[in-house]
Amino acid sequence: MSRTKRVAVTSPQTRVALAARRGGVSVTSLDATALAAAARIRRRQLRVAGTTLVGAAALLVGAPAVLDLVPVGIRWGDVPVVWLAVAVLPYPLLAVLAFVQLRRAERAERR
Amino acid sequence: MIGLAVVPVVLATLLIGARGVAALRSTSDFLVASRRVSPLLNAAAVSGEYLSAASFLGIAGLVVKNGVGALWYPVGFTAGYLLMLVLVAAPMRRTGALTVPDFAEARLGSPRLRRFSAVVVLVIAGLYLVPQFTAAGQVLSLVSGTPHWVGIVVAGAAVSVTLALGGMRAATYVQAFQFVLKLLLFLVPAIWLLLAVGADTRTAALRPAEYTTFPRPTEVTFRLDTRLEVREPVTVLVGGVPRRLAPGTVVAPGEATWVFPEGAAVPEIAGSALPGSDTWQHPLLDGGNGHPLLATWSILVATALGTMGLPHVIVRFHTSPDGRAARRTAAITVGLLGSFYVFTVVYGLLGGVMLPELYLSGATDTAVVALPSRVDGGTAGSVFTALLTAGAFAAFLATSLGLLLALAGALAHDLLPGSLRRLRLTALLAAGVIVLCALPAVRIDVGSVVTSAFAVAASTFCPLLVLGIWWRGLTARGAFAGMIVGLVSSAGVMGTGFMLRADPGPAALVLAQPALFSVPLAFLTMIAVSLRGRPAPGSDAAMLRLHLDET
Repeated sequence: MSRTKRVAVTSPQTRVALAARRGGVSVTSLDATALAAAARIRRRQLRVAGTTLVGAAALLVGAPAVLDLVPVGIRWGDVPVVWLAVAVLPYPLLAVLAFVQLRRAERAERR
Repeated sequence: MIGLAVVPVVLATLLIGARGVAALRSTSDFLVASRRVSPLLNAAAVSGEYLSAASFLGIAGLVVKNGVGALWYPVGFTAGYLLMLVLVAAPMRRTGALTVPDFAEARLGSPRLRRFSAVVVLVIAGLYLVPQFTAAGQVLSLVSGTPHWVGIVVAGAAVSVTLALGGMRAATYVQAFQFVLKLLLFLVPAIWLLLAVGADTRTAALRPAEYTTFPRPTEVTFRLDTRLEVREPVTVLVGGVPRRLAPGTVVAPGEATWVFPEGAAVPEIAGSALPGSDTWQHPLLDGGNGHPLLATWSILVATALGTMGLPHVIVRFHTSPDGRAARRTAAITVGLLGSFYVFTVVYGLLGGVMLPELYLSGATDTAVVALPSRVDGGTAGSVFTALLTAGAFAAFLATSLGLLLALAGALAHDLLPGSLRRLRLTALLAAGVIVLCALPAVRIDVGSVVTSAFAVAASTFCPLLVLGIWWRGLTARGAFAGMIVGLVSSAGVMGTGFMLRADPGPAALVLAQPALFSVPLAFLTMIAVSLRGRPAPGSDAAMLRLHLDET
């Protein structure tokens, strides 16, 4: 069994922070092209995130407001529709939002 | 006898935990499993860790107590991972920081902010852990008649031994296993209950009649001192001795057992809705404060935004190899949690129609475990009670593991950096302290204390993470000010509300559910204070780097 050398573990950021405190080393090593690419990706990601957040807000803010007004008496078979809307419906909706967000975020990341 | 059901769960936890020991060599192994966990395994572990006693028992109990609107809680819990996926998962992973305090220092370069964040971690983890251990004691004493402290000590011992031996490496496998276990132990009894209760009860659950009169002589053991609003004179048996209650407010002392006669009017309790009443059926959370829509929004803000700020949840994303895997983990988690929470409605509605007296006793957290024996007094009922008890115990174990890890991390890694052995000792020590806190805390309401942990997380770490990741203008001063304001306006306000015990009304709503104003307040303070200063040089690059795919 090969034994690897044991080293003290700090997270990379802690190491950078410690180094910066000692000598004032620059925190990142990104060059200008990488920075420009990162700025572009961040803008694209913000747009993607914005769409998903609107969807999430529609569900979390909008749905309770709508359900407040719908009477419990409206039923699908024996089941009140408003109960279905709070107990079952949100989960597939959230899963779809998550899936779409994942796809779009990964696409936005390609440089 | 049924209490023995927890034995296999504890044994399996220890065995799987022990497997992880072999691979454990460094602090990084202990805290983040050396970052080699696949998205699906990690998502199962995240879900396993997240589905706590509050999810397994608490939500169904809240439905019995407060009505169908309580089903918004799990919607918020699940939506938390969607927001995590959108705003935090991948960039947070790319910081390489092990804990939130680590992130605070990495992004803003302030050791002071790091120590303050570690203190906030302690507050949140404490608020979340104590009720888990209390719930463990409650359920064990219900099903097996053991004293309350036995359950707490058994849970504390199992959790801290696993953690001290295996750390996160062990926790990942333990929790992935426990997710599957919990899903099965929740889903199979739910289906059995639905089939076993018969068509009449199913219809009654969907068209509940208001619980206005006792259908049979009903024994109620009050968990806490309870203020009853008696509507008609009634004679109850207190320890076999008749006592006449006149209409008006009557206080039933905690742990007293009263027997109400058949046909008597059910007394009301201020602040909760009689099971089956119109308020109970209304699909919004009405805490009796007259503003159900605001109360529902406040809960949703706290749970959906608080999830990303829970220290044990964030650290788990660091076990993914890179940002992309962390994002996939979050997306899969949304699906896994949904498949669990969709069954809570079964327990809630059946509990409302079959165990409405829990509304009076206040022991609604036991509704899930108490249902099978009410449906079937024979062997099948006992078997399913045992299964649900095992599932509930698995829920305590998994959540407590992750939380103790975050707590130990905050103490040993951020406040007093030290070696691996020190980290292990800290985990043990933290478990001991939590057990000591949980022993006298019998009287707390599990669901509401856990939600307060979410409100604190949403008002402190959520703005720090979101602004730190997406806004280059954030300064250390701004983050510090925003987190202090968030902490005071959430934890401080809730603590004040707890002391004051305000009468039901808008003020009580604000004091109990402050998230709707405390979260925006924290965000605004952070932004306003940051705008008055200048971000540190290089903070632009420090932020942009988080959006660059590593590959």
